[in-house]
Amino acid sequence: MLAFLDDPKVLHGIYALGALTLFFIGLYGLLAKRHLLKMLISIAVMELSVYLLFIGLATSPGETAPILSDGLTAFTDMADPVPQALTLTAIVIGLAVLGLGVSLAIQYHRLTGKVDVASMTELKEL
Amino acid sequence: MTLPLTPVWFVALPLLLAFASPLWVRLRLLMPLLVGTPAALLLLAFVLLPEVRTAPLLETIVIAPPLGIHLQLDSASWILVALISFAGLLTNAFIWLADGEPYLRDRRAFVFLLLLIAGCNGMVLTGDLFNLYVFLEIAGVSAYALSALRRDASALEAGLKYLIIGSVAAVFFLFSVVLVYLQTGQLNLAAIAVGFGEIPGPMQILIGLLMLVGLGIKAELFPFNFWVPDIYQGSHPAVAGLYSGLLVKVFLFVLFHLVFLLLADPKVVGIWLMGLGAATMLIAEVVALRQEDLRRMLAYSSLGQIGLITLALGFGVEATTAGGLFHMVNHTLVKLLLFLTAAVLLRSFVSAQLADLAGAGRARPLAAALFVLGALAVMGLPPLSGFASKLWILKGFAEAGVFWPVALILLAALIEAGYYFRWIKVLYDPSVQLQAVHPVGRLAYAPMAVAAGLIILLGVAPFLVDALFSEGAQALLDRGATLTAVLGAGS
Amino acid sequence: MTAVPLRKRVRVKTLLLVLLCGWLFAAHLGVLLQYGLDGQSASVGDALLARNAETASANAVTSVVVSYRGFDTLGEVTVLFLAATGIGLFFGGHGRAESHRPEPPMSPPNEMMVTGVRLLFPVLILLGVYVVLHGHLSPGGGFQGGVIIATAFFLRMLADPAFRLRHARIGLLESLSGSGFVLMGLLGLSLAGTATFLGNFLPHPVTEMGRLLSAGVIPIIYALVGVKVGAEVAAIFGDMLERRGQQSPGLLGDESDT
Repeated sequence: MLAFLDDPKVLHGIYALGALTLFFIGLYGLLAKRHLLKMLISIAVMELSVYLLFIGLATSPGETAPILSDGLTAFTDMADPVPQALTLTAIVIGLAVLGLGVSLAIQYHRLTGKVDVASMTELKEL
Repeated sequence: MTLPLTPVWFVALPLLLAFASPLWVRLRLLMPLLVGTPAALLLLAFVLLPEVRTAPLLETIVIAPPLGIHLQLDSASWILVALISFAGLLTNAFIWLADGEPYLRDRRAFVFLLLLIAGCNGMVLTGDLFNLYVFLEIAGVSAYALSALRRDASALEAGLKYLIIGSVAAVFFLFSVVLVYLQTGQLNLAAIAVGFGEIPGPMQILIGLLMLVGLGIKAELFPFNFWVPDIYQGSHPAVAGLYSGLLVKVFLFVLFHLVFLLLADPKVVGIWLMGLGAATMLIAEVVALRQEDLRRMLAYSSLGQIGLITLALGFGVEATTAGGLFHMVNHTLVKLLLFLTAAVLLRSFVSAQLADLAGAGRARPLAAALFVLGALAVMGLPPLSGFASKLWILKGFAEAGVFWPVALILLAALIEAGYYFRWIKVLYDPSVQLQAVHPVGRLAYAPMAVAAGLIILLGVAPFLVDALFSEGAQALLDRGATLTAVLGAGS
Repeated sequence: MTAVPLRKRVRVKTLLLVLLCGWLFAAHLGVLLQYGLDGQSASVGDALLARNAETASANAVTSVVVSYRGFDTLGEVTVLFLAATGIGLFFGGHGRAESHRPEPPMSPPNEMMVTGVRLLFPVLILLGVYVVLHGHLSPGGGFQGGVIIATAFFLRMLADPAFRLRHARIGLLESLSGSGFVLMGLLGLSLAGTATFLGNFLPHPVTEMGRLLSAGVIPIIYALVGVKVGAEVAAIFGDMLERRGQQSPGLLGDESDT
């Protein structure tokens, strides 16, 4: 019944729809919210949606993980390893930036008691 | 076993020294290495120069170019690499010699400064799109941490704003990288360039726009540059000098490198980029007129010059491109000089507001004199270097018969003269007696004197470096030569 | 009086933002559905997969991460190092005197939890080491295993009041493994057999594929990455926890109640 999902076009269409929905939810959060942590979370959502899009569209139905195990002996009919490697790299970078951002936000909050980008007043146009 | 001198050292040496930083703390080598590393890289750049001028240096990392990552040192990227090392050397020397704020002199600042240099070098050298993203993040994260280094409310605010806007830029850039890989299946820039023309038109536009938003934010182009003055005001002036002198130049270079390499006909987007550059220049110069804070004024002035460079590079003709590269170098020297002067003034008088600096010219005569020199160089008065590069750009436009940029550049120079003379007048206000609060060591002026000397030297004798910039412009514009060098003659 | 126009204004702004995001979404989706679904015919990844046997690593993703694109991984470790250094900067040094509100009192540790976590600790460490060392054979590797090791320390820090992270020692591990990674790369550059940065200079015969000792420098580099990631993530957790005066939950709760 679900055989139509084996068509790469259908499956990739679903992945693209989901990932882009997530991306623009993140963008909306970034533009609409002024709470520092909410903005950082929105950025994280946008990043994650890009990873999902990458992994989803780069793998076709029927391909296995690019690892020789469980009786596999040759690197054929396997998923493209490069998107997976790049996503691993990008995830770690995203985590590092997010961690730095959250710690900056916490420190700022401790120092001034503010959590709102709109209420930042130290630096602005006169 | 040999240790060949290859471009990878520009990245590997700062990385190694930054990772091993606890050792340097114990050996009390932190400050000598902070200055020594960019000095060593500058030396390496000059050692490699004769080789680079004959043919671009390609260095394979693990596996040959179309499949793997490679570093490319050609005449254009050589200019940027030498500029990065030199700017890093001057700023780090100032931090060491000025004996100032302790937070700029500890292990963490050492790590951030060295890795900022490593990230910028990597971005300029790499021939791989995803590797570019990784180095963009290295330079970005170092910059966020550097601007928040002081850890008071304004520094943290600057760091947070920078981090949020920078991460958004990185997400957009990553999105475009993902789309490029999904469309072409390539990550090497030369291989992408071959396949880019076959991508369907709307997809090309989408990729281009995402990349423009990502790199436009980082390169501080209008309308993505609303955040810039806040960051420059909140950071230490020496660090702000690095942003203006080094980081933005690198992003501009990367942007135009991608435009000239990926597109078979760069003229299509060149006119749009010229429009963005002109808007950046005019708006920034006008807004700079009413700034009351020295750092904000310098930030807007920096944006104006960025716009000018974008205008020159976007035209895509050899004369304007060479002039644009020359102006990049000049502007880096000038802005380093001005921001370091601002650091001295800020330290001496605790404030960088216009009202608080009235009469500072007699309390700190040397700093004020250097400020005047820098201001004259920005405006482009002979015999300073700004004149030589602006003349080159204007001549390029005039030879091509396009006159609207000439008019805009001259108008911008006029506005610049307006606000710089306003500041100079206040600095030499005879009616106020101002006393310096904190002393500044004589040695702190040494890096500024070097920058000032170079500004005068390049202004008097631009023919010393003419050939270098012409070769750089040719390397940047000659798409076919780059593709042949990387992919072999068959492509 | 003023409440109604204010709410009205906010709603208009929200509506406009939703419309903007919706329009961008539709534009992106249109382009992607029309042109983006076919996938590329021949990609770098396929070419690398075809010649992956030369690395003698059974896990093709690992050989891409550590060998073919090892330069990216070096950069990625650097970003993590920068972030850990930055977080140490923001949470260290200042002390709690500048905090503008009093810390809530600490609840006494729960004996069950402390014992359970102490039992779980060696198991988690062992799992982490296994995942790191088998990165070239099975799913896993330095990043995943390193994070598992860091999680073990994180659990101890949360549950066990007697447990203290030795920051000096972690800093040493961090800098040793990081320098080790760069030095491995430079060894590859300097030895005549490979002569490229990060080249695989140890023997890696294909016949050994699938064994623990195979694939030349790949497991060594991945182990260094594992140590570095473990040390850095543990240091990040430690910095965030300790400066809160052992008050374990609510890094987020602290912000959201204002």
